[in-house]
Amino acid sequence: MSDARLPVERLSIILGEVRDVGVSQRGPRRTRLDVAADALPALLELLKGRAGYVHLSAISCVDWPVDGQFELVYHLWSYELNALVSVHTRIARDPGVYVSVYDIYHPAGFFERDIHEMYGVFFEGAPDMEKFILTEWDGPPPMRKEFDSEAWVNEHFDWQDYRPDWLLELEAQGGGIVTPPDEQRFSRRGITESDDES
Amino acid sequence: MRAENYEARNHPPSHEFEINFGPNHPGIEGNYALKVRVHGDQVVAARADGGYLHRGFEKLMEQRLWIQNIALVPRICVPDPAPMEVAYSMAVEQLCGLDVPERAQWLRVLQLELSRLAAHLFTFGGHAATTGMYSPMFWGVADRDLLLDLFEELTGGRVYSIYNIPGGVRRDIPEGFLDRISATLDYLDSRLPDYDNLLFTNRVFVTRAKDTGPITQAQALEWGVTGPNLRATGLAFDVRRDDPYLVYDQLEFDIPTEQAGDAWARTLVRRGELQQSVRILRQVVERLPSVEGPIRAPIPNPLAWKVPVGEAYVRIESSKGELGWYVVSDGGEKPYRVHIRGPSSMHAVQVLEHLVTGARIEDVAQIMFSLDACPPEVDR
Amino acid sequence: MGDIEYKKAGSILNPLKSLSFFTRPAVTEPLEPRRAALRYRGFHLNDWEKCVGCSTCQKVCDNAAITMVRVPSLPEDELQGIRNLRPAIDYGRCCWCALCVDLCPTGSISLSREYVHTCTDDELSSYFVLPDPRGMHNEHFGEGWNKTPENDLIDPRRQAMGELQAEQRIDHFGEIVHGYDKQQAIIEASRCVQCGMCHEACPTHMDAPEYIRAIWQDDLEEAVRQIYNTNPFAHTCGRVCTHRCETACSIGKRGEPIAIRWLKRYAMDAFTPEQVRDIVGTPQVAPSGRRIAIVGSGPAGLTAAYDLARQGHQVTVFEGLDKPGGMPRWGIPEYRLPYERLDADIAVIEAMGVEIRCNTWIGRDISMEQLREDFDAVLLGLGLQLGRSTRIPGADHAAVHKAVEVLRWVTEGRAFKVPRTAVVIGGGNVAMDAARSLARLQRKTFGEVRVTVSALEDFDHFLADPEEVRESDEEGIVILPSRGPQECITEDGRLIGLTTLRVMSIFDDQHRFAPRYDETDRQLHEGEMIVEAIGQMTDTGLLGEELTEALEWSRGRLQVDADGRTSQPWLWAAGDMVHGPDVVHAVADGHRAARSIHRYLTSDAIQEEAS
Repeated sequence: MSDARLPVERLSIILGEVRDVGVSQRGPRRTRLDVAADALPALLELLKGRAGYVHLSAISCVDWPVDGQFELVYHLWSYELNALVSVHTRIARDPGVYVSVYDIYHPAGFFERDIHEMYGVFFEGAPDMEKFILTEWDGPPPMRKEFDSEAWVNEHFDWQDYRPDWLLELEAQGGGIVTPPDEQRFSRRGITESDDES
Repeated sequence: MRAENYEARNHPPSHEFEINFGPNHPGIEGNYALKVRVHGDQVVAARADGGYLHRGFEKLMEQRLWIQNIALVPRICVPDPAPMEVAYSMAVEQLCGLDVPERAQWLRVLQLELSRLAAHLFTFGGHAATTGMYSPMFWGVADRDLLLDLFEELTGGRVYSIYNIPGGVRRDIPEGFLDRISATLDYLDSRLPDYDNLLFTNRVFVTRAKDTGPITQAQALEWGVTGPNLRATGLAFDVRRDDPYLVYDQLEFDIPTEQAGDAWARTLVRRGELQQSVRILRQVVERLPSVEGPIRAPIPNPLAWKVPVGEAYVRIESSKGELGWYVVSDGGEKPYRVHIRGPSSMHAVQVLEHLVTGARIEDVAQIMFSLDACPPEVDR
Repeated sequence: MGDIEYKKAGSILNPLKSLSFFTRPAVTEPLEPRRAALRYRGFHLNDWEKCVGCSTCQKVCDNAAITMVRVPSLPEDELQGIRNLRPAIDYGRCCWCALCVDLCPTGSISLSREYVHTCTDDELSSYFVLPDPRGMHNEHFGEGWNKTPENDLIDPRRQAMGELQAEQRIDHFGEIVHGYDKQQAIIEASRCVQCGMCHEACPTHMDAPEYIRAIWQDDLEEAVRQIYNTNPFAHTCGRVCTHRCETACSIGKRGEPIAIRWLKRYAMDAFTPEQVRDIVGTPQVAPSGRRIAIVGSGPAGLTAAYDLARQGHQVTVFEGLDKPGGMPRWGIPEYRLPYERLDADIAVIEAMGVEIRCNTWIGRDISMEQLREDFDAVLLGLGLQLGRSTRIPGADHAAVHKAVEVLRWVTEGRAFKVPRTAVVIGGGNVAMDAARSLARLQRKTFGEVRVTVSALEDFDHFLADPEEVRESDEEGIVILPSRGPQECITEDGRLIGLTTLRVMSIFDDQHRFAPRYDETDRQLHEGEMIVEAIGQMTDTGLLGEELTEALEWSRGRLQVDADGRTSQPWLWAAGDMVHGPDVVHAVADGHRAARSIHRYLTSDAIQEEAS
């Protein structure tokens, strides 16, 4: 087992071996690294093998349609140093292909499979790219920003049409429903503002 | 799953056939399917199939204001909802730079540990039930009910407490609440010998659990196992100790470990954690009256609240393992991205498939329960 | 875990341990639903008296569970911010998170301790409830989660507005109020829950929720755009409006209302008139060839001018005094509304192509008949430029003046003999304006303030704004309520003061003005000048005898229809002269008249008249 020196010291040695890594300290046990997509697997190998970051906590995917990119974040934890390193990289949204790090970190199998079905990113070399959660879904990858899940729900399902007595009485008096729930939802703000002119 | 979507795996005629464990099965915690191919009573291959509890929280949370999400997050893990609430609030606090008052932190620890107790009681019961012993399950659920009574008194909700809000907690403790907690803890302490008699010293249970679903230390680290499952292989890693949050650094507690890494070791670790949670709670009960101050930091009008640009990764030790929350804000009124890494994401899928392969069919459910794999967390 | 003896086989008598369970109470729950905890989040209760129908609960509900329904039997009052809407909740969607309770501005909605409801498929409509104080099944289980200071998410406090202290402001006419800085404005704007009560209460229905939100987004151009949808007197209203919006504000029900007026001021102050002109844009329509004359350059006249010019008509405004603006300039002192801000409002209006001819008295320089000939339509915005007199003995003395007169002198900068002591009769805002203006002049000239205000009303019914009264008091003005003026006393031809009697009542049983005095309580208030600020009326002499005969009047006031049109098809009237003194009402009036004039000018009627 490697000896436990301060994270920054340790990292700086490793990072010298990979070109163009942006480092920023985000807290006492949080470091952010930014690296180019083609350099990331090598960086992960170094971090695991020589810096002691043996635990892959998660791989997160963030969709940045404005930039035309997906951001992949690899959260690595070291049990010796008690520190978390988040390695950020960007890949092009189209074609949305990247390389699997399953050989380096076993947990990647689950996360890459999840990102594949949710975002449509294909990880070459991943052991299993079959759907896990969305086995009966044949629409677009739903976590992508352009997929409006609320609109899909509104299209495919109806609101319950309640006719309780008190409502019928109010309607007879000239009252009744004035503002249905969907009209005032903050969740719709910024999505269909142009359609929502009242 | 609809019948037309079911696909049997094609294989040459043999003594092997495929069974679908779940999605509705008393031996499965929640709704989850495990397709196992058995040769006689030996499992030769297994494939996990989730999605039955997929509610799309990660997408839903992107469409709601920061404040509205506090009502969604407890539902992500049903038996142990508190860590989800705390993780979300902590992430937002980190993004906003909010300082949570000390009293609120103690109250959060109170909620987390009570939730851990409730989850472990549930798990013992479940694990026992998978070995055919139903009495501990009734006991576990009944004793857990007392903890739910405490939650009801503190938060207004029994299971989904919706107690946390970014900045702190929503209500302070009611009159006499600490005494009632102490009384419940005394009761649980007095019950532990009963559980030992019925379950933990029971030869039948021990024989069933020992050497079932063994994980070595090396495998645990390689597979990303965390929580009691990892501690059962001998590694004393606990997020509360290694990556401290709230006021855990002011609390005294041990980290129970075992060496064997099998279902029995995992159960023993949980039993030890139950005792440690009681110990933590007693410290909280003693300390809380002397911690003064507000129970939350002020936040802007929730209908006009923009969280600054940034990202935060929060790690919490839930009863099942390492819970990770990655929250990204683009400076807007709603989260830009929320990624939830439940501990069961590892345990219920890859680890489960590895362990079940080669096990006997009667142990499949036991392995899943001993891993405390929680499908709502996997599916979100 | 060495403490568990699990290796041993155990004694054969071990199972007998379970006999002890016979002595222990069983773990069980009663079959009847038990009483829930004190802060349980059960079914909703709503106090219909407190609820104002603001629909904030609907906005914060994350499950779209709340529908607003109209209950016609409930009271509705736009000016007080009360709607007859109440929330109805779909229990198929509600998750009982209680965010609606925490965010309710009035504290009317709460959750009860009731939690049981069952029904068959046929009765599914029972899931849609209209919560009232009685509970879902008309059985009150007690209040559960309700609003307490701990979980209240509405901040009742307003951002404090800085202003000059009395000592710093008393000897000059500089503006008292500092205005919000950016941080204060954004925080204040963030308090708004976008309920829209302000919009409904405003006489000209300003898009206040929109401009408040724009200020919160720090998009001040959008804020100005929203403001100018309904109000070209934005600087003016941002300083002196009677803010009906703030009276109706939902937050104001339990806390301090949003400072809607100050936010308008903040947004407008960020731009020069040229920038505002660019934001609202100059009219892009072809000239209509129609000409409109507007008599009086006050808020009513100039608002109509703004609208009509933007619709392509040629507008000429005739103003008798040497500067435009009407009462906002000539009546409101500079320390409340600096002239440059009013000028900015007027500059934007002029940029629309409106011609303002000052020093032109209709009735003297140009007759109404001439206007009728030369223009296609005429709008009167004459205001209330004449002060009323108490007509008490001595009121005709040279040193007894009307408040409007004195205020006009101060605006002109006319040098007049500043009285060492002064008495102001009246208790409204005009009286305060006059008193505070004289106080400043006295302080500059003599170094001390000696002004007495004598009003018929008592402090509970004072007509002036509470802020005016407070600030006057700070400035050293003596305000005497419940005093009725009796006589202006002279000595050797010089005015020395006013005698008053204590008022016992102002109105009689039929609410007619009939003050009764206590003859034994008589006081003399020192005053070299007496100012009468008891009301104003319109100077309609300019209309000429013939026109005056032809028009309809009621109790001295010109009668107009709902569109502001008089009985003469070519003549409209708007503003203070028809609806009483208030700037924002005058703006609303100006819009109404402009709409009506535009309809007339583009209708068939005028084509016929021309032919």
